[in-house]
Amino acid sequence: MGALEIVNFYLVPGIVVGSIYALGAVGITLVFAILRYAHLAHGDLATLGAFLALGAVTILGVSPYVALPIAMLLTAVISVGIDKTFYAYLRERPKIVTVMASLGVALMVRSLVQVVWGVDSETYSRGIVRPENWFGIRLRDREIVTVLAMVALVLALQVFLKRSKWGKAMRAMSDNPDLALLSGVDNRKVVTLTWLIVGGLCAAAGVFLGLNYELKAMMGWTMLLPMFAAAILGGVGRIEGAVLGGLIVGIAEEMSTLFLPTEYKAATAFAILLLMLLVRPTGLLKGKVL
Amino acid sequence: MSDMLEMRQVVGGYGEADILQGVSLRAGQAEIVAIVGPNGAGKSTAMKAIFGLLNVRGGTIVVDGRDITGLEPNRIVEAGVCYVPQVDNVFREMTVHENLEMGAFLRSGDLSAAYERVYGLFPDLKERRRALAGNLSGGQRQMVAMGRALMLEPKLLLLDEPTAGLSPRYMEQIFQICRDVRDTDVTILLVEQHAKQALAFADRGYVLASGANRHEGTGAELLADREVAAMFLGG
Repeated sequence: MGALEIVNFYLVPGIVVGSIYALGAVGITLVFAILRYAHLAHGDLATLGAFLALGAVTILGVSPYVALPIAMLLTAVISVGIDKTFYAYLRERPKIVTVMASLGVALMVRSLVQVVWGVDSETYSRGIVRPENWFGIRLRDREIVTVLAMVALVLALQVFLKRSKWGKAMRAMSDNPDLALLSGVDNRKVVTLTWLIVGGLCAAAGVFLGLNYELKAMMGWTMLLPMFAAAILGGVGRIEGAVLGGLIVGIAEEMSTLFLPTEYKAATAFAILLLMLLVRPTGLLKGKVL
Repeated sequence: MSDMLEMRQVVGGYGEADILQGVSLRAGQAEIVAIVGPNGAGKSTAMKAIFGLLNVRGGTIVVDGRDITGLEPNRIVEAGVCYVPQVDNVFREMTVHENLEMGAFLRSGDLSAAYERVYGLFPDLKERRRALAGNLSGGQRQMVAMGRALMLEPKLLLLDEPTAGLSPRYMEQIFQICRDVRDTDVTILLVEQHAKQALAFADRGYVLASGANRHEGTGAELLADREVAAMFLGG
């Protein structure tokens, strides 16, 4: 097999799915850094985002790219609602209670999607998209958009965290919550802001997954493990680490099919997660929280 | 003279148990007041009570004529009180300058005068403004912590053992900075383990024991008191 084929059939799909994992992993790492628990409803929120975009596509007749910001906004608001309805009451309790609650939320969100949109696979648009040829490397528009959108969203988030007043408040809250409170930061506002961002990123991950593959009620849940693997691989609490982790997990999954039956693709993320926890539990870029 | 701080017969503690059994403190305008006492006397607890970090079950706390008993810490910050904890008092993953920015979180408008004032008090910090606070030495971290608190231009500054673990050189420097801060019309209440040095430097002092007032007076009076001397200097 030539180098070009490896790029076309393994590396490019790996980078695309890696970008999708990255979007999810950034959200997971944010929840870890600021709220300090593992959020198991993350994948199903991505599913919800993907189907909300489908709703916008079918009802408003817009393209999936226009539906993307709509779905991000709706999912962001719903995430805040979920936090206020379920997680806010558990904040003073041991974190494991919230982790379990998030598993319940995951099941609720998935059931809701199944009730509204059914259990069959859906797509945003019918028909086969032929890839463009870029000097032998074949890329579809949606693949380029997926990677560029991930880079743009993560850069925007980084600028927000580094430069803006509330971004700094989020970092302060992650760094030293007691001192942030002493400085007059209202932690409820930081939590709301975190969920707005996390919800938006979740929806983006779901929409791009649906755009590149297909929409299924289980799509987000199956993405949960690779997203967690990516967040831990990169170092929990590190945005750039989550992106790096996402890309590594995505590329490793695709590359694994060179040597292993395709059924073992999902096991690759699990293997990376276990290996990382054994060898370097703080992640590639030293994590801040765990 | 009207008091900046008046704490009257405060009873309270963490959870159910009362650590403070009726502590009364007052501090005047632009005065340095030191709280000393043996371990477990409730010194730091008294300070946390002022800042709303404790369940206060009795008594009142008034700052500059305003009753702040039982308010949330961020409301107390708005009332002009800043608190510097003994440990974990900086944002380690943020730069020195960002730490100061967080101190001014509740302020809006032009902050350049506030930065100038803090960097004027702590010239060491100006040189290291882009360094991560977690990478600084203990003494410099204490300066960042105080600088962060001063960014709000508080009326009352609460310092919990500001010289714990510092070398004598830094201790003297921190005390000198406290005097400079007081001279800009700020009241300072500090808890100190180094009782002798603290009483020598403070305007007035309180000796707490077992969660209640034991002695009070000017620093010199307390140092001259035989019972206080026996408590700290072993007779």
